[in-house]
Amino acid sequence: MLEFSGLTKAFGNHKAVNNITLTIPQGQMVGVIGRSGAGKSTLLRMINRLAAPTEGQIRFDGRDVSALKGRDLLAWRSECAMVFQQFNLVGRMSVINNVLMGRIFHHSFATAMLQAFSAEERALAIRALDRLGMAHTALQRAETLSGGQMQRVAIARALVQRPKVMLADEPIASLDPLNAKVVMDALRRINQEDGITVLANLHTLDTARTYCDRIVGLMSGAVVFDGTPDQLTDRQAREIYGAEADDAFSEGVTSTMLTPRAQAADTFDSAA
Amino acid sequence: MSSHHLATPAFVIEPGQDPVTIFEKHRAELQRSRLFMNIAMAVLFALLLAVSIYVSKFYPDRLWAGLPRIFEYFGTVMPNLEADNLFAARQANGKAVPGSILYWYSDLGKYLQLLFETVLMAITATMLGAAIAFLLSFPAARNLAPLRWINVLARRTTEVLRGVPEIIIALLLVFALGIGPLAGVLAIAIHTAGALGKLFSEVNENASMRPVEGLRSVGGTWWDEMRFGIVPQVLPNFVSYSLLRFEINVRSSSIVGFVGAGGIGQELNHTISFYNDDRVMAVLILIVLLVTVIDLISERLRTHLVGRENLI
Repeated sequence: MLEFSGLTKAFGNHKAVNNITLTIPQGQMVGVIGRSGAGKSTLLRMINRLAAPTEGQIRFDGRDVSALKGRDLLAWRSECAMVFQQFNLVGRMSVINNVLMGRIFHHSFATAMLQAFSAEERALAIRALDRLGMAHTALQRAETLSGGQMQRVAIARALVQRPKVMLADEPIASLDPLNAKVVMDALRRINQEDGITVLANLHTLDTARTYCDRIVGLMSGAVVFDGTPDQLTDRQAREIYGAEADDAFSEGVTSTMLTPRAQAADTFDSAA
Repeated sequence: MSSHHLATPAFVIEPGQDPVTIFEKHRAELQRSRLFMNIAMAVLFALLLAVSIYVSKFYPDRLWAGLPRIFEYFGTVMPNLEADNLFAARQANGKAVPGSILYWYSDLGKYLQLLFETVLMAITATMLGAAIAFLLSFPAARNLAPLRWINVLARRTTEVLRGVPEIIIALLLVFALGIGPLAGVLAIAIHTAGALGKLFSEVNENASMRPVEGLRSVGGTWWDEMRFGIVPQVLPNFVSYSLLRFEINVRSSSIVGFVGAGGIGQELNHTISFYNDDRVMAVLILIVLLVTVIDLISERLRTHLVGRENLI
């Protein structure tokens, strides 16, 4: 269980994340939505401490992870995997070694520097790649892959961490509709089969509706919506995205999905 | 290049096959082919090392035998200072007391003037060389050159410019232009243009092409692409490399004087050739001090400038 209490991140006078209190049970798939600059990335990056909270606490299974230091912090990061918008792979390294980086926390300095991974670890990495249909690229350099393939390799890297939580910061924002679907399907499958909590920042409403158990809407760093996709009404969506009442607001316009849910699109079109 | 065949990293997994087994098989193949290349390279390296040790006679016993003679030389150029007279003032007749610092550094005025000249030479040469390098670096970058032959021409130019040691260029220029700092400045500038041209062009090759495409998409010329797509990206690195080169050029400009190309080197050569006494040491100490001070200032300037540039 992941709990935020009074979580705040200030950059100077500006509060990117303002006093967020939330509880996320283990195994839930949560979509975080909001305009750019609403604090979605900052919220996610505070969880694995790529950004340090200014105030408040993050607890995981009762343990305060916002106060961890040194080796404990690294251990937490290894349990709490992250997938990035720009994939953040090492382009000049082979796909398999990129994935094996997910095991690096469990290595000593020497075995890490020498890339001395065991046959079991290699098998784990290949099975993770195979789950995402990428095993055949294992010996290529990561930079030879397309964007969608790179993101799948990045998810494989996250998987071999054997994480309890997976953070996905705009995982499909740089991908075409087909690859977006492949990546979102993979995240959903991992969530359901492995029971890993998934927190994904999504810039399209219909993706969040289709894939997530729960949607959290952020505006100016504060939670303005927290509920199931069904509970998110047109009015609330408008509020989250700050659309003026007169402006046309269509989920279809922001969609990167192959088959936007016709019903939802209809609702918004008639409202506009 | 060897025509040795490396196992291809791409492989296919048929449905129903175990991915781990297939992967391990291909990994083993790839490693075998790499092992052969690595062993071949290691043998070649060991061979070349052995030959170069033999040719240069880099043997420890020779080194040990020669070591005392280095100190022997320094013995002859050590100043003859006397504790009692160390800070003695000039005598009534205007002459300095032997054994005093004043006596040792009686030519200090001349030295300082020459040191100043040395620094000015380095500044001028660096500015001149960096300007030429800047212009050459865009056609010399593989990703930026508008035409293949222009790229080849620019690269060969930088190679020729840095290929000849500056002391040799200085020698030729002294013969052509006469004794004085002009020959030294030009010699160092030519070498700097070649060396910085190479470094600058490599910085350009690592620059992102996205802004360049952006400029092309709005109808910009090649010049617009370079000026606005590349220069803002690479400028901090250019400044950093230029300042580093300036430090190197201060050292160079205190050497080229040996062949009559101006600066403190001329005086060092003079003292070594004509006196071979404590004046050699006096000049050497000043050169070391100058280079150290310049290095310290330049390093501060570099972090300051690059730090600020990165914010823009």
